[in-house]
Amino acid sequence: MPTLTIDNKTVTVPEGANVLEAAKRLDIVIPHFCYHEALGSVGACRLCAMKFLEGPAKGIQMACMVEAKDGMVVSTQDEGAVDLRKHVIEWLMMNHPHDCPVCDEGGECQLQDMTVAGGHGIRRYGGLKRTYNNQFLGPFVYHEMNRCIQCYRCVRTYQDYCGGTDFGVLGCNQRIYFGRFRDGPLESVFSGNIVDACPTGVFTDKTFRFHSRYWDLEEASSVCPHCSLGCATIPGARYRELQRVRGGVNKETNGFFICDRGRFGYGYANHPDRPRIPRIGDREVSWDDSLEEARGRLADIAHRHGPAAIALLGSPRASLEANYRLLTLAHHLETDRIAFEAHPERDRTARVVAALSDKNSRSLEEIRNSDFLLLVGADPLNEAPMMALAVRQAVRRGAGAALIDPRPVGLPFHAVHLPLAAGRLSEFLQAVCAGTFENFSRQERTILEGIAERLRRAQRPILIGGGDLLGAAGVRDLLRTSEKLSKEDRPCGAALILGGPNSYGAALLSGETSDFNGILDGISEGRIRALVCLESDPFTDHPDLSRSRSALAKLDLLIALDCVPTTTAEKANIFLPVKAPAESAGVYVNNEGRMLAFASVFDPGTPIRVTGGGDHPPRVFEPGTPRNPPMSAWSVLGALQNRRESLNSLRREMEGEHARLAGLASLDPETDGRRVLPGGGRFEIPEIPAIPTEEKAFDLISIQSLFGSETLSAFSPVLDPVRPVPRFLMHSADAAEIGLAAGETLRVTTDRGGFELPVALSEVMARGCLFIAHLKGSPVDLPFPGVRFAARVDRRKES
Amino acid sequence: MNLWRGIKGSIQPFGITFRNIFRKPSTIQYPEQKRTPAPRFRARIILTRDPDGGERCVACYLCSAACPVDCISMQSAERPDGRRYATWFRINFSRCIFCGMCAEACPTLAIQMTPDYEFSKREPLTLVYEKEDLLVDHGGKDNEYNYYRHAGIGVVNPRGGNPDEAPPVDIRTNLP
Ligand code: SF4
Ligand code: SF4
Ligand code: SF4
Ligand code: SF4
Ligand code: FES
Repeated sequence: MPTLTIDNKTVTVPEGANVLEAAKRLDIVIPHFCYHEALGSVGACRLCAMKFLEGPAKGIQMACMVEAKDGMVVSTQDEGAVDLRKHVIEWLMMNHPHDCPVCDEGGECQLQDMTVAGGHGIRRYGGLKRTYNNQFLGPFVYHEMNRCIQCYRCVRTYQDYCGGTDFGVLGCNQRIYFGRFRDGPLESVFSGNIVDACPTGVFTDKTFRFHSRYWDLEEASSVCPHCSLGCATIPGARYRELQRVRGGVNKETNGFFICDRGRFGYGYANHPDRPRIPRIGDREVSWDDSLEEARGRLADIAHRHGPAAIALLGSPRASLEANYRLLTLAHHLETDRIAFEAHPERDRTARVVAALSDKNSRSLEEIRNSDFLLLVGADPLNEAPMMALAVRQAVRRGAGAALIDPRPVGLPFHAVHLPLAAGRLSEFLQAVCAGTFENFSRQERTILEGIAERLRRAQRPILIGGGDLLGAAGVRDLLRTSEKLSKEDRPCGAALILGGPNSYGAALLSGETSDFNGILDGISEGRIRALVCLESDPFTDHPDLSRSRSALAKLDLLIALDCVPTTTAEKANIFLPVKAPAESAGVYVNNEGRMLAFASVFDPGTPIRVTGGGDHPPRVFEPGTPRNPPMSAWSVLGALQNRRESLNSLRREMEGEHARLAGLASLDPETDGRRVLPGGGRFEIPEIPAIPTEEKAFDLISIQSLFGSETLSAFSPVLDPVRPVPRFLMHSADAAEIGLAAGETLRVTTDRGGFELPVALSEVMARGCLFIAHLKGSPVDLPFPGVRFAARVDRRKES
Repeated sequence: MNLWRGIKGSIQPFGITFRNIFRKPSTIQYPEQKRTPAPRFRARIILTRDPDGGERCVACYLCSAACPVDCISMQSAERPDGRRYATWFRINFSRCIFCGMCAEACPTLAIQMTPDYEFSKREPLTLVYEKEDLLVDHGGKDNEYNYYRHAGIGVVNPRGGNPDEAPPVDIRTNLP
């Protein structure tokens, strides 16, 4: 731990830190561009000059390129260094256009800040400015190349950190260019990060183009609601409209970057059809009336059919507080019919993870520092994108990675891929435990033995599993395997991808209650007459749609609380609009079991863009937001129980009730969150019906797609251009057997109905499998991810 | 205790008043009579146009940020030709203190102060001026400046076509 002196102040920094970082620790900020905490330093911008007076380095040096050493004495205010910085910023500004007023970066532009900090004011150079032509980079990123100062941050983000290959630095000499070889959409699903990384306005958020200035935005620390990782985000809103999302910093989860679903999937909060007013049937009513009606009708049903005739359904995308209030609503109504996930298998999976994973659960930061990663049934790019980047960082540092998955999984890092059929993943995990691979073919055995060997030798190995493909039993096997492979001095970790941002939290609250299938049976048999749905959509999110729909149609009373126009919201007898995640404060428990608090960014209400109809806002004086704005889900549920409370008192109550949630009340959105306490419980997995196998039948598996299957991002119109086209994915050898070519239509019949879709072929997938990438809201009712069933295929005759 | 000063102080003002009775008055009979204020007088604000007739304002929000009483609001947007403009632009003159900070902040010379100080109204809402009320069809105090001819992002002139710019570079050449 070297100790050095900067501007007469001493500081001790960790081994390997550079002098710029050391100065930052002393709150001395020297202008710099190319250094970035996640990207390291390259010494490209020549701006961070400091004078080194004592120590191994002498004279004026780039501080980001000098490793801090004991006994160094450094001056940042030395005349020579200040003068050099002033000149460098003047050179950087030589070609910069005169366009801050029309540049979206203005106000949050590091170049503006550093120019002022560097002391450059009046342009002295009289020559011509260099110019470039821009490129079309797709629907998300706008390119204005004249603003570039050649710091190389974008390439280092896109290529090095995110593993993108279609964007880079071109040209030579005075013509260095940052773009693609040809115009076209950026291919990486992390493309939006170059917007955050670029210190100037070369790359700006196209979905936010010319919307607002940074200083006018309402911003707060938030958590991404689009997958189970819970990346830190900073949404920005203005005039009651969520206008953009940028990456936040959480060292334990995402680090600095986020994926494009998290960044551009925010449109649900401003969806034109978003229901914002309480409804009874089709009639819009006031909050008081709707709550009165809901309380009255629930009491009526309890009176006529008994309290057990009321069921409640929570959700992995509702906050922990809201799910908890739903649980106490069940107690209030004296019913025990409650489930926290409409998808029974995902429910079981999350409960297994919440019950069994404790010591061995690993954060993304631990994945980044691991030295061997085995992914089983996981497609991180589609299921939890930042997980893929975490593994990539480990691989960049020399870790090995292997993937056992029936799908043709694309990954931003090198990994050994063995396409094993979905049904054999558990078998594989058990074989790893036992250490013998006798049941596998010779070729498979060689690969698997190699993987097992690496797993034994690694110091910090982590098993990564996808909840959807493994299912509850597979997840249990994975957690057991990781326990089995752990030794005293060398623990083996596990990280699992779950269904939603709060799957873990919802599972924590579930305990031993029945799953949603039990509730559906109750409804079909007439025992259950009323259902309260909290931010869940059983009409589309159940693996067996015909079963859930026919049952739900029999309900006497459906109460729905949601912030998006789902089918359930449409069909509800009483609809109660609740705040979107960015509007409310709350806590999610991510896949690792980390409680992540998010703050409320803005108050909900019809955006000015809508009330003004595109023209100027209405010319009326009005106190408060127009009409009845949505309320927080937890406060609506509290009101149904006649409670009036603050978020803090609610959190304190939860902490008292649930020992595992210790520290919840003092959770701060600005921090990295806090792990829930280990459960140490055993969870008995109920018997899972075997998948009927038939001769000549295919294993039909519905899988997640990044821009298609998640509910909130499905309501985000800016993602429409990148939505997947529904189609089957099949092994080319299987296709050849039935004489099917790529692009032809395949008809599939199952006991859950038939599908007719075009087929795409692949060679790096398991034989006998058929995949459908799920697309929420597609015209074909595709089965929800996390379900497998037998399918008979039939090549459609082209007429 | 200065008796003499007290007596002088009581009498002198009568003398000064008496002297001024015979001077020409400096007040005028407003509103029947009116003065012409200096051109730089700071009163009613306008949004001007560039010499080519285009709206100068690029909705950069600098005036609204500079305004000490927060009486300017707007919404920016993009025209099909890439020009940034204000879909709506509102100044609440019942709040404006005519300090001129907005005009000083404006990088495009769009927002300018005029000497038209006569616009008291009875209804506060009629003092809320929209873009239609603010926009004029001249350049105000400067009829020459067209921001886009200097901006360097190729909206009015082609890219690299401004007076201080070189044509776009060819990034595929290897020549020095
Ligand atoms: S485009 Fe931005 S990030 Fe990339 S080199 Fe230029 S200024 Fe740096
Ligand atoms: S990886 Fe998941 S949590 Fe992170 S930004 Fe993407 S969708 Fe959001
Ligand atoms: S003159 Fe002053 S108070 Fe009036 S709009 Fe301009 S900045 Fe605001
Ligand atoms: S400062 Fe000038 S260009 Fe910018 S918004 Fe105001 S009037 Fe328009
Ligand atoms: S930050 Fe040190 S040279 Fe760029």
